[in-house]
Amino acid sequence: MIALLALFAVWTGWRVFRVDSMVRASFALMLSFVSVGAIGVLLSAPYIGVATVFMMAVEMMVMAIFMVMFMMNPAGLNPMVMVHQHRLSIAAGVLAFVGLSAAILLSPLPSDPVPEGSDVVAQLGHELLGPSMLVFETAGVTLLATMVGAVILSSRQGWFGAADHGSRPPDLTAGGDPAGRQPGDGGGHGHHHHGGH
Amino acid sequence: MTALLVLAVLATLLGGTVLAALMDRAALPLAALLTRQRVETEAPDRMNRDLSSAWYLALAAIGLSVVPFAPGLALIDSPVGIVIWGSCEALVVVTVFLHGWSPNAPFPLIGAYRYAAIGLPIMLPSMFVLIAAALPAESLSLIDIVESQREIWNVLRQPLGLPLFLVVALAMTLRGPMDYADAADIATGTSAEESGAARALWQVARLAMLVSISAIAATVFLGGPLGPVLPGPVWLWLKTAALMALTVWIGNRVARTTPDRMLTILWVVLLPLSFLGLIIAGVMAL
Repeated sequence: MIALLALFAVWTGWRVFRVDSMVRASFALMLSFVSVGAIGVLLSAPYIGVATVFMMAVEMMVMAIFMVMFMMNPAGLNPMVMVHQHRLSIAAGVLAFVGLSAAILLSPLPSDPVPEGSDVVAQLGHELLGPSMLVFETAGVTLLATMVGAVILSSRQGWFGAADHGSRPPDLTAGGDPAGRQPGDGGGHGHHHHGGH
Repeated sequence: MTALLVLAVLATLLGGTVLAALMDRAALPLAALLTRQRVETEAPDRMNRDLSSAWYLALAAIGLSVVPFAPGLALIDSPVGIVIWGSCEALVVVTVFLHGWSPNAPFPLIGAYRYAAIGLPIMLPSMFVLIAAALPAESLSLIDIVESQREIWNVLRQPLGLPLFLVVALAMTLRGPMDYADAADIATGTSAEESGAARALWQVARLAMLVSISAIAATVFLGGPLGPVLPGPVWLWLKTAALMALTVWIGNRVARTTPDRMLTILWVVLLPLSFLGLIIAGVMAL
């Protein structure tokens, strides 16, 4: 069962790079993580396993929205290539695979079955809010600060006016005209002055 | 015993769905849909279009399988039952999104993105009220949560919990004020390009989810199978049916606002309210 789930996780992980849309890639990655979560449940880590499914469902939904939002290919149904920087990524992939395989094969893995009837969820809770509390809380507060910062940075309204006021799109050619509509000329849309100028 | 529990879950889901169809006065229109032909869209994502209804139905079934039908007796007796339900909720958002995304057509896509925008923030109050209910039980298991309500039901101990969870129920069943996926203002949204049996199956799954989330609400806030004289399953069915009726009634009575206004309500009103409920529950549980 674990082997089947692991194979499914690898296959869906591989699909992430073979499909041609951001939405498909996000949810292929979600399926990969769901099978990893199921392996966690089978390895007597029910909370971590099920929480992985929960977190990844929410996370991949957010990721799909943001990737479609920031990609030049909206809606996600148009075909596109999911891989780039071939040599670097092949090298990084091979290196990571060899390194992780070596770590698995060379390190002595503990053979320590969970005793029947032990309360693993409560033990995890005591660990997270006991000895590991400092690490846990530091990570949590850092993530929260990052999220608040990201929202503030991407917000259009700001203390000194709109964030995109006076901004200039990148040039089409080096030193040439900027791409898109020019500030002030209405962009060929008649008299409409959209907020984005 | 397991076979009996499987039977109980399936019978509850089936009977509850029929009851929900009657409450919605949807039984006849649903049957009539079966005779209609299918609609095809250009370049759809066939797998997700054909399977999203099945996933919705499966999530309703998985959600119901963690519900205890008698004290100490659930099909999936997990120490993290409430987190399993939380995963089902999160996957419902993904499923509804894929249902709207897969036909490759404008109205379903608008419904999909609107629903994702509303469905993601609704996860937070949902988790907070469920964790608050888990605090007096000192356990994430729904069986223990039922046991913790022997003296007083959570609906009285944590008065904020059930009203907030009913908002979640409206969102999870695409209903009334929280129906940003399949609403009439965008020509039934994610279902706009669906006809015939496929549309009927999506509606059946939506009704089954009403049964499932009402059973969870009955378990977490109304003591589930606890009650005098009558056997456990009967109490669970009665409470579930009452909450289904309440959800349908609210869905029919309360008007829907614009998505951006609803987003403000969710983040500025409901989220702090649910957090307040969690803090109070935490202080009381100390």
